[in-house]
Amino acid sequence: MTLIRISDDALALACGADAVAAAFAAAGCTVERVSSWGLHWLEPLVEVGGIGYGPMAPDDVSAVLAGTSTKSIGMIAEHPFIARQQRLTFARAGKTRPLSLDDYSATGGWAGLTRARSLSPDQVIAEVTQSGLRGRGGAGFPAGIKWKTVADAAASHKYVVCNADEGDSGTFADRMLMEGDPYHLIEGMTIAAYAVGASQGYIYVRSEYPHAITKLNQAIVLSADIIAPFRIEVRVGAGAYVCGEETSLLNSIEGKRGEVRAKPPLPAHQGLFGQPTVINNVLTLAAVPHILLEGGAAHYDSHGVARSKGTMPIQLTGNIKSGGLFETAFGITLHELIYDIGGGTASGRPVKAVQVGGPLGAYIHPDRFDLPFCYEEYAGVDALVGHGGIVVFDDTADMGRLARFAMQFCAAESCGKCTPCRIGSTRGVELIDRIRSSPRGADSVELLPQMHNARKAGRSREEDIALLEDLCETLKFGSLCALGGFTPYPVLSALKHWPEDFT
Amino acid sequence: MNSAARLAEILSANAGRAGPLLPILHDVQAAFGCIDRDAEAEIAEALNLSRAEVHGVVSFYHDFSAEADPRLVVQLCRAEACQARGVEEIVAAGERAAGERVCLKTVYCLGLCSVGPAARVGDALHARLDAAALVALIEAA
Amino acid sequence: MGYEPQVDFGTPEVQSETVVTLTVDGRVVTVPTGTSVMRAAALTGGSIPKLCATDNVQAFGSCRLCLVEVDGMRGTPASCTTPAAEGMVVHTQTPRLAKLRKGVMELYISDHPLDCLTCSANNDCELQDTAAQVGLRDVRYGYAGENHLGLEADTSNPYFDFDPSKCIACSRCVRACDEVQGTFALTIDGRGFASKVRRPATSLIGASSGRPWPSVTVSYATDVTPLRSRPLVCSGSGAR
Ligand SMILES: Cc1cc2nc3c(=O)[nH]c(=O)nc-3n(C[C@H](O)[C@H](O)[C@H](O)COP(=O)(O)O)c2cc1C
Ligand code: SF4
Ligand code: SF4
Ligand code: FES
Ligand code: FES
Repeated sequence: MTLIRISDDALALACGADAVAAAFAAAGCTVERVSSWGLHWLEPLVEVGGIGYGPMAPDDVSAVLAGTSTKSIGMIAEHPFIARQQRLTFARAGKTRPLSLDDYSATGGWAGLTRARSLSPDQVIAEVTQSGLRGRGGAGFPAGIKWKTVADAAASHKYVVCNADEGDSGTFADRMLMEGDPYHLIEGMTIAAYAVGASQGYIYVRSEYPHAITKLNQAIVLSADIIAPFRIEVRVGAGAYVCGEETSLLNSIEGKRGEVRAKPPLPAHQGLFGQPTVINNVLTLAAVPHILLEGGAAHYDSHGVARSKGTMPIQLTGNIKSGGLFETAFGITLHELIYDIGGGTASGRPVKAVQVGGPLGAYIHPDRFDLPFCYEEYAGVDALVGHGGIVVFDDTADMGRLARFAMQFCAAESCGKCTPCRIGSTRGVELIDRIRSSPRGADSVELLPQMHNARKAGRSREEDIALLEDLCETLKFGSLCALGGFTPYPVLSALKHWPEDFT
Repeated sequence: MNSAARLAEILSANAGRAGPLLPILHDVQAAFGCIDRDAEAEIAEALNLSRAEVHGVVSFYHDFSAEADPRLVVQLCRAEACQARGVEEIVAAGERAAGERVCLKTVYCLGLCSVGPAARVGDALHARLDAAALVALIEAA
Repeated sequence: MGYEPQVDFGTPEVQSETVVTLTVDGRVVTVPTGTSVMRAAALTGGSIPKLCATDNVQAFGSCRLCLVEVDGMRGTPASCTTPAAEGMVVHTQTPRLAKLRKGVMELYISDHPLDCLTCSANNDCELQDTAAQVGLRDVRYGYAGENHLGLEADTSNPYFDFDPSKCIACSRCVRACDEVQGTFALTIDGRGFASKVRRPATSLIGASSGRPWPSVTVSYATDVTPLRSRPLVCSGSGAR
């Protein structure tokens, strides 16, 4: 009987994988549901004896079985999109059944944990530090240093919290890992817990990811004995982008409003329930099992450039022909990613801009597509690596509208605690509207006779643009967290490179 | 089961958790379609919180509502990657199809950013939507 | 009896066996370890603008007026939530800070009634004082934007009124109610621009206060000032 492998990842399901799977089953095939390769433009992708076919519809089933299908892409593992990658975190993608403990063990699962347990916690932390691993959630803070702080804190309770709130548009790597290789995350968390002396872990998953939540809950039950005495519980977010910010996330787990806490104290000193807490992104924790293999830290460190070490699961999204997950060492350029790997835009029109690093990341002009993907180089041009999401826009994009959207998103998701973001994001939307529809006169309140100090003359477009720049400065340096603090990046980059879109 | 018993059941099912408020609110929202004043007061009492504390949390999160909305909900992603793939051009058709019957809600990102525009109905996801597919989805909802 | 303004050091006094010495605007000051930069500055006689901090409750860091510059530190940290450290060199008055504070104040006033002359808090209002302190003259946003000005006042309390249009959402009343009174009767309702102070209508669990507004603001008021006067906890003139 023919063995057919089809992903049950949420994206494959959204593209119709279940119907295709049912059609193969009806044709008498054995269907195995596996994780996704990350070749998203080909989903639903099916694999028969290593050969891929996609994107599949139920009608294509008979041709595949008859060997006459025109949708073959050849051996999946040899497809250029896969062959060019350096998959460490996503080594199992497409190859294993997500909840199968047998598949997990057979592909090197638990080896990192077993070796970690044979070392002292200090040695584990030393190896993580040596690997050069930095946080993949956005800020790029060295993971080893964070762990050491928690390990050194004296407390009866410590926690490991996994940040799986993945709210950035243009990102899905956390979701793919949780749905496709949940034990891998569990193993990474368990190693972290061993290293810092924590007995309880939480995975905070956004409620927009129901499939990931189900898979994790099942995986936690199935692996409970392996990770004991460590315990993990899934906590579900409730529709708040800001709860991806670490202190807001901790408040949310505690059952409070997801308002951001002022730092200090750092979560590593006083985190969840006031106790020392490691909080790391899914991809940070999932990099750990590989690092803890014999020689793994040095191998990880041998990838990448300068201070950006290891691999980054980059997510190619938006208006791109071949979108999906591309894990590679740091240092690759946007030009390679968008044209050589992604095949240019899906619409076939020229690329106008890309946004890297989520809604708080800058819009990058094609002039800078030579920029190597790495924390320092990006920071140098006011851009953000963030969580590695790349959103491509073609020449129909209206950058003024996207700048307005950045402010609107900030207003919609602001926790409301600090003044610059709470009021400034709303003023930013209004101001961009005003700039795009100028000239304007003084408003009715300003014209009241008792408003002696108010300006009676209208404000020019230049004055309003200067005000927008001032507002961005207030947001950037005044905000309590990076939601308000980084919203100026998409706004100002759009204004700088595409001023013609603001008229 | 009447609602008081259901609420009591939810409260006791979550009793063992540290920081039980959000899981409880999710369960109450799922069971009753909202978290009303009475539920807020009951939850507050059970957790030894004030009503103000519970209300503050309920009102913070978009997943929770104070009043039930009997309409079917279709969540349409309108974040950047779906904008790049044309979601704004199909919103109007979606709104016309939704009318008063269906609640067409904006959501920011469903993690399907390479195959947008994307939508969610319950736990079912939909990708590569064009206007016709969105309208069909709403009409079938 | 008039209200005698007392020095508000911004954040509560800290007890510690160790001390740190720092420099604030050229003045050297030694404070217990854990003391905020804001308090240290106040102890030198300096005055950093602030609206969410008061030495009755823990620092919160929300208004963002108290930003300072510290040699060797990135950005402009809030002085109320930044602990003083040994050897720290702090600048509280620089052109950059002046511009930022004015920028924050401009946002506040773009969503505040302009009836100072007829407001009962006139000349006894931290918001008004701070606007003057940072030198705000022109609100370049204008006044046509989204705002809270239409909200109705709650006059149900015998001691003071609550006017949500004047509230600046600093959470001082909420925090005082929690930290000082232990009543937990208030909350911020909603989030983002829509955030507002609210006291849920039904009676409180665990507290039999029948008063429509919690006693926190009242006892604050009676501690220092006569009734019907300014509840000291409120900075934005929301409650008075
Ligand atoms: C508004 C906002 C949203 C964030 N969202 C996320 C998120 O969804 N996932 C994440 O891992 N980190 C997010 N972060 C970053 C976290 O605050 C924090 O830096 C991260 O969880 C630390 O883990 P890491 O060191 O492994 O990156 C967000 C930060 C901000 C300011
Ligand atoms: S910038 Fe301020 S208001 Fe905005 S989310 Fe962060 S803390 Fe909340
Ligand atoms: S009522 Fe006064 S103290 Fe309370 S949040 Fe509003 S301005 Fe601040
Ligand atoms: S942006 Fe629409 S699914 Fe991510
Ligand atoms: S006084 Fe420091 S932020 Fe308000």
